[in-house]
Amino acid sequence: MTALWRIFTLMVKGETKSLLRGLLLSTLVLMMGAALLGLSGWFITAASAAGLIGAGAVFDVFRPSAMVRFLAIGRTATRYGERILTHDATLRALTRLRVALLSRVAARSYDRLIRLRGAQALNRIVADVDALDGVPLRLFLPLIAGAVTQIVACAMIAWLVDPRVGLAIFGLFTIGGAGVLVWGLRRAQTPSRRMEAAAQAFRSRLIDLITGREDLAVYGQLTTQTEITRTAELRRQSAATDTDHLERQIGAALMAVSALAGGAALWIGGHLAEMGEISPARAAIGFFAALALMETLAPLRRAVAEIGRMIGAARRVSEQLGHEVASAAQPVPEGPADLVFSGVSFARNAGTRRVIDGFDLTVAPGEWVALKGPSGVGKTTVLLLGAGALSPLEGQVRLCGQPVTQCSPGSVTLVGQRASLLRGTVAENLRIVAPEADDDALWAALAVVALDDVVRDKGGLSMQLGPRGAGLSGGEARRLVLARAVLRKPLVLLLDEPTEGLDHATSLKVLAGIRAALPNTGVLMAAHRAEEQGASDRILTLG
Amino acid sequence: MTKTKKDKTVAPERQVLAALLSREAKGIRTASRLTALSALLWVPQAALVASVFSRLLTGAGGVSVLVGSLGFLALAALRLALSYLAEGLLFRAGQSIVTHTRQEILDREAKSVGPSAFGGPGALAALACEKLDALLPYITRYAPAQARVKTVPLVILALAFWHSWAVGVVLLIAGPLIPVFMALVGYAAKEASERQMSEIGTLNDLLVDRLAALADMRLLGATPRVIAQFETAANDLRARTMAVLRVAFLSSTVLELFAALGVAMVAVWVGFSLLGELSWGAYGAGLTPWAGMFLLLLSPDYFQPLRDLSAAWHDKAAGLAVAKDLSAWQGATSTPLLGTGAVTGPLPGPVQITLAGVSAKRGPRLITYPDLTIAPGARIALSGPSGAGKTTLLRLIAGLEHPASGKITVAGQPLNAESADAWRARLGWMPQAPMFLGRSLRHNITFGAALTSDVIATAALEDVLETLPKGDLTLLGETGGGLSGGEARRVMLARALAAHPDVVLADEPTADLDRDTADRITEGLMALAARGATLIVATHDPVLIARMDQVVDIQPEDRPLDAEATQ
Repeated sequence: MTALWRIFTLMVKGETKSLLRGLLLSTLVLMMGAALLGLSGWFITAASAAGLIGAGAVFDVFRPSAMVRFLAIGRTATRYGERILTHDATLRALTRLRVALLSRVAARSYDRLIRLRGAQALNRIVADVDALDGVPLRLFLPLIAGAVTQIVACAMIAWLVDPRVGLAIFGLFTIGGAGVLVWGLRRAQTPSRRMEAAAQAFRSRLIDLITGREDLAVYGQLTTQTEITRTAELRRQSAATDTDHLERQIGAALMAVSALAGGAALWIGGHLAEMGEISPARAAIGFFAALALMETLAPLRRAVAEIGRMIGAARRVSEQLGHEVASAAQPVPEGPADLVFSGVSFARNAGTRRVIDGFDLTVAPGEWVALKGPSGVGKTTVLLLGAGALSPLEGQVRLCGQPVTQCSPGSVTLVGQRASLLRGTVAENLRIVAPEADDDALWAALAVVALDDVVRDKGGLSMQLGPRGAGLSGGEARRLVLARAVLRKPLVLLLDEPTEGLDHATSLKVLAGIRAALPNTGVLMAAHRAEEQGASDRILTLG
Repeated sequence: MTKTKKDKTVAPERQVLAALLSREAKGIRTASRLTALSALLWVPQAALVASVFSRLLTGAGGVSVLVGSLGFLALAALRLALSYLAEGLLFRAGQSIVTHTRQEILDREAKSVGPSAFGGPGALAALACEKLDALLPYITRYAPAQARVKTVPLVILALAFWHSWAVGVVLLIAGPLIPVFMALVGYAAKEASERQMSEIGTLNDLLVDRLAALADMRLLGATPRVIAQFETAANDLRARTMAVLRVAFLSSTVLELFAALGVAMVAVWVGFSLLGELSWGAYGAGLTPWAGMFLLLLSPDYFQPLRDLSAAWHDKAAGLAVAKDLSAWQGATSTPLLGTGAVTGPLPGPVQITLAGVSAKRGPRLITYPDLTIAPGARIALSGPSGAGKTTLLRLIAGLEHPASGKITVAGQPLNAESADAWRARLGWMPQAPMFLGRSLRHNITFGAALTSDVIATAALEDVLETLPKGDLTLLGETGGGLSGGEARRVMLARALAAHPDVVLADEPTADLDRDTADRITEGLMALAARGATLIVATHDPVLIARMDQVVDIQPEDRPLDAEATQ
């Protein structure tokens, strides 16, 4: 419950005004409903009493009947407003949660980010957040509105009918409602948590199955993967059956509470009328109002059924949101954009062998430095340190005298070995780093890496790339990634074997193109090819 | 048959939906009747309550307060039991339909290869998960609401006319307006639901794609832009969802308005009649207090089934939108996998591979392959420009693709659905783009078997395992995030080694790697060859080509080419 309350307050924070208004309106709807039925019951009974004694002519029919019409129409309009307000505010709050979650995921350390499993993160951002819409809509708002309505109704019925009738209705609804809520909370958590876990497992396994089905088929693992996916669905199914069972029990219990309240109002009010303590018309108010007050319990049924799912989601989401994002990046100070490594050491895991030890290097603006050395000597690690993606164990990496981790994103840009392109058009892939760039600028960037003709042949800037850049060959994808880095116009460009997979002529063209396009950018590259080493001003051998 | 003729005019999504429901028609019908019966029990409840008040007012007739109250409670208990039963039946029916459809998607996707025309893994997962779940409210609410609409209002209307033609007329006029209005709203709701459904799929695919690229986006400094794009997409989805809800709320508001006005008119007429102010609308001696109260209690329940149906109308719209997606999925052509992809005993015999007149469709092009016989233990390099069809040839040999013509013979048997699984039990496979399951690294190599030191040594994985946070139990990203390109390739090599293959199919195993890593991969492949395995490698790498016995040149032109030997 605490996790739910925390999420609720978080959602309220951004939408306080609309949610408060929504709460007010939903309370009003419930109260108007009770007033409408109570008034109608009183009106009919009082009217027939007056008719029976022949006092029909002096009975004021106009005010009550006008009131009935007003309440009927007003309640309908209020409900519309309430629904729009609360749903819109909730959806807005959920969208904000989703964006916040993605931001937190994106702010993870580089190390964790590369091992990120998309399906799992997708579950957090999509399914978990979806599960939270019930927190305001079906749990807290109806609970608060219902409680307020019950208190007001109790006072009104005590005043208009009799305190005993008011207290009986109030007691049955609140004690019964709270009892069902607590009982349901206790029992519903496990099955609905199991159901959610199974549903997420099914989703992850299905995505694994679809993305990896060819590999799985060759290794004879496809049926096994299908089976474990099916198992997740069977688990979900059994948990869903339990949840449904419980939900129906809760529904029945709530119906019983409502029926008891109605029956009690009828019996106590009727008894008082029989004794002549109150008029039958006043007894009718109590009974009819009790019928209308059933509405205060109705939303609890789904709320309790969903509670385990909501709690699980709320825990996971607030845990994710709990990780504070590092302080915002600062603009790079003016001055020469030197990238300076001073006494940098690094080990992949604390305590293990140091990959880099006491590394010093300065890359001046416009200078091209090549790192060479056998595989595994730490060339890529140096680049990741330079980009601020890894933090050194000792020493510092600074750009313009400022720690590189605090520089605004992209001032140091790293192009890794594996080309990572997005689904979408070529233009979208380029504009991800330069949203304002016009088509000419994009073509110019493509020309730098000798890719303009290829793209023109394949349909121009609007050419669609499949997932992970499918549609381009390895070498073309590589050049597109380089073009993207060029468009970024970084102060320092870090390249990890930039011409791998390109033929000799293209390699030279690409390297010369980058140099001409970014004359003032310092370049540090992990280079093992002669073309790359030849394009550099100096070569540093590691290991 | 006339039925098939009629079916042609029905929209495909309606056919899909009808077919889905027909699986559980009986349960749904029984449950619907039970809910109608439960709703009708309100009539005796109302009669009892009216009797109690009538006796209080007139002092005669009717029932005592105690009897009335107990009767009211007893009937409530009966209603409760009936609806409990009906809901259970409906849930079981809905669950069975949803689960069955989900299995169908799982089974077909598990037997297909290549990308689906329907969408990416994100879109397929969205269909199989949350979209199918949206069918459940339709199944559990729409049919029973329909059954109630057909019975409850008619019974109440008859009772109303029995006591007062005026009340009957009010209900008769107000009632039918509702379905007319609902039909109009239904169209708008369906359209809005469809737009929302497609937006959900798009958002999921966008997210899957962007999440996979997040690490690189960080290095590019493009993270804020990626988040901003997602925010825009998420806000679009919110706007679409709100549009659906707005239609839903508006229509239920209009309905409620009709219902409220109808009830208010009945209440006012009953009040005036009881006062003796109105002398028309009832029969004979006018309206009794009992009849007045009875009619007032019944009239909200005259509208209730109509309101339930209208609420379910949106469930139906959502259901139809899902059904449309489903029929799109059913209609999307998928290439079936040869065989099932199960573990089976390996195909016996020497692993000779023969291609005779094989051609394959690749988009609009037809690739024709040279006739080829690959002897057991041969080392073959497939070379040729990108896009010539080298990968397709490897996929053909692995039974992942069907030849457009010609015949592939493996180990003396035609490669077909019967032999494919057993044939693949003898294969090792190294795709160009490594994919990792959401399990440990060890499982990704051995699929549950023990990881031997021999495999680790041959694939040169020691230093990789040493640097991973949990060694071979580390969970990796889908495309091998956490490993360098070379390391991921070495894992793919280890996976091939662990399968003890007789034939290894490797797609560009050394592309994008530095010489050192490329050499390690090459040595690993050679170690496999030394154990007698046939190597078939699609590659541009001259060093790797030099280690092969034979080069088969695949040219993009669709004409057969001769195999040329270089060594």
